[in-house]
Amino acid sequence: MPPSQDLVLQTEDVAIHYGGVKALDGVVLTLARGQVRGLIGPNGAGKSTVIDAITGRRRLTRGRVLLRGQDVSALDVVGRRRHGLSRSFQRTSIFGQMPVRKQVELASYKMGATDPGADADDVLRELSLHGQAHVTAADLGYGEQRRLDLALALVGRPTVLLLDEPMAGLSVRESLDLAQHLKALAQRRDVSVLLVEHDMDVVFGISDVVTVFELGRVIAEGTPAQVRADPRVREAYLGSAA
Amino acid sequence: MTTSRLFLTAAVALAVGVAAAFAISSGTLLSLLTQATIYALFALGVGVLLKQNGMVSFGHALFFGAAGYAVAIPLQMKLLPAEAIVALTLVGLTLLAFLIGLVIVRVPGVAFGMLTLAVGQMAYLTASRSRGVTGGADGMQVDWPATLFGLPTSALLKPAPMLVLCWTVLVLTLLGVALLLRTRFGAITEATRDNEERARFIGITTLLPRAAVYALSAAVTTLAGVLAALNTGFVSPESLHWSLSGVALMMVVVGGTRVLWGPALGAAVYFLAKDALGDHAQHWMAIFGVALIVVIVFAPDGLSGLLLKWRRKAGPGTDVATAAAPHDGAATRTAH
Repeated sequence: MPPSQDLVLQTEDVAIHYGGVKALDGVVLTLARGQVRGLIGPNGAGKSTVIDAITGRRRLTRGRVLLRGQDVSALDVVGRRRHGLSRSFQRTSIFGQMPVRKQVELASYKMGATDPGADADDVLRELSLHGQAHVTAADLGYGEQRRLDLALALVGRPTVLLLDEPMAGLSVRESLDLAQHLKALAQRRDVSVLLVEHDMDVVFGISDVVTVFELGRVIAEGTPAQVRADPRVREAYLGSAA
Repeated sequence: MTTSRLFLTAAVALAVGVAAAFAISSGTLLSLLTQATIYALFALGVGVLLKQNGMVSFGHALFFGAAGYAVAIPLQMKLLPAEAIVALTLVGLTLLAFLIGLVIVRVPGVAFGMLTLAVGQMAYLTASRSRGVTGGADGMQVDWPATLFGLPTSALLKPAPMLVLCWTVLVLTLLGVALLLRTRFGAITEATRDNEERARFIGITTLLPRAAVYALSAAVTTLAGVLAALNTGFVSPESLHWSLSGVALMMVVVGGTRVLWGPALGAAVYFLAKDALGDHAQHWMAIFGVALIVVIVFAPDGLSGLLLKWRRKAGPGTDVATAAAPHDGAATRTAH
């Protein structure tokens, strides 16, 4: 584990219970500066719930979320975003009736950027959306909308980016393109990434470390090679073919 | 539409309105146009709420009627100069709306509509039963002083100047709201309306903009209420009744909310069509009901939406995109 001063995100014993159902139970996760951590697990394992817990979308039953060492558990979604915690959504979440640049610039402005227009243009260029700057978001193709969702999460220089299945619905080619973009973007913008994704090629291709979830608990973690070789993971998730 | 073109359009609209007011000799027609203009302002208030918040109010008569009482009661008691009363009415009801908004805009959809209905009907019943203050069901006169804002009230109350006043207020309000919605505030409210959850995740505290839009819509409706009290010199509980809110909402639906002037167009159509019916006007609501169904089915964006569509077809280079602000709800697509 990296030294604690390098950790930008920590969850301590995070639990979310719905009555008797334990959606998350005692989750401990860390994310070091510049790191890409992949989160995998079968459907219903609690991967998206972890993102909801970290961003404040769901109330914790137990535990703490620390951002650069500071406890942000009491902050709401807006407060955590202002502290540098950003996310994209499993279901594309954009402002459908607004032009592309206008919404990205608004997001940048709300994050306190000194020059929201320039920040928006940078992100749009990095995600190859600058050609669609004045197009209404609802008129974009699906892949472009996914990238716009990512652009909204990237503006304002977040410290931590939580990506919930960013490749969902994309073709293989689009997924590979976006995966390459993601890795380069994370490095260029000095943002640490927690990536929930079903596409194993993407996760193992761009993650520095991989965490495996099952039934709301972490069952394994390590480098992609270590996780691939872990018999519990092979049994619980990857299957014998992996 | 560029800002300079917006100002030019407003100037032309003002000039045309003033010229028309003094060119029309029929007192009946002037009176009808004045009423239509006041209701256009009322409908604009309701329309702004629908356009920017995506919320339907069944109780905006609350602000229309309350404006009348807020002016009439202190005038009768001679508490303050009329100008101060008008200013306090506008500011007070806007602030009240903001406070009400902080509570009720948290509730989505039909429940919000029901809350507006409940609040409006509470005010209606209060006015109806407070006979000592409001005159109860009989209503009360509004005792305007001899001069208002330096102008002789008797001259102001003549049909042509009254139409000029109401038209000017309508055009300037439209201009003011249009300019406001071009600011960052407009973008924030648009984002909140389109996708509230995403808005929170880009750092927008969504309650305040929603409450602010509610207050803005109430301010516009309050203006209409003050003008109505000036025009008729009378206020009664009927001006607070939910059926009046319903009429304003129908004007909004008929006119459409893709553009700001849509609700005003709906109000104009409402009054002019009603007048054109002459003796058949006793069946007006039945006829308007049919018109409403036709518009909802065949022109869901209202008459203004239809006009924009025709204009777009007529000239591909026409600048309508910037004038229109669609609001079809959240853009959330499910991944396949």
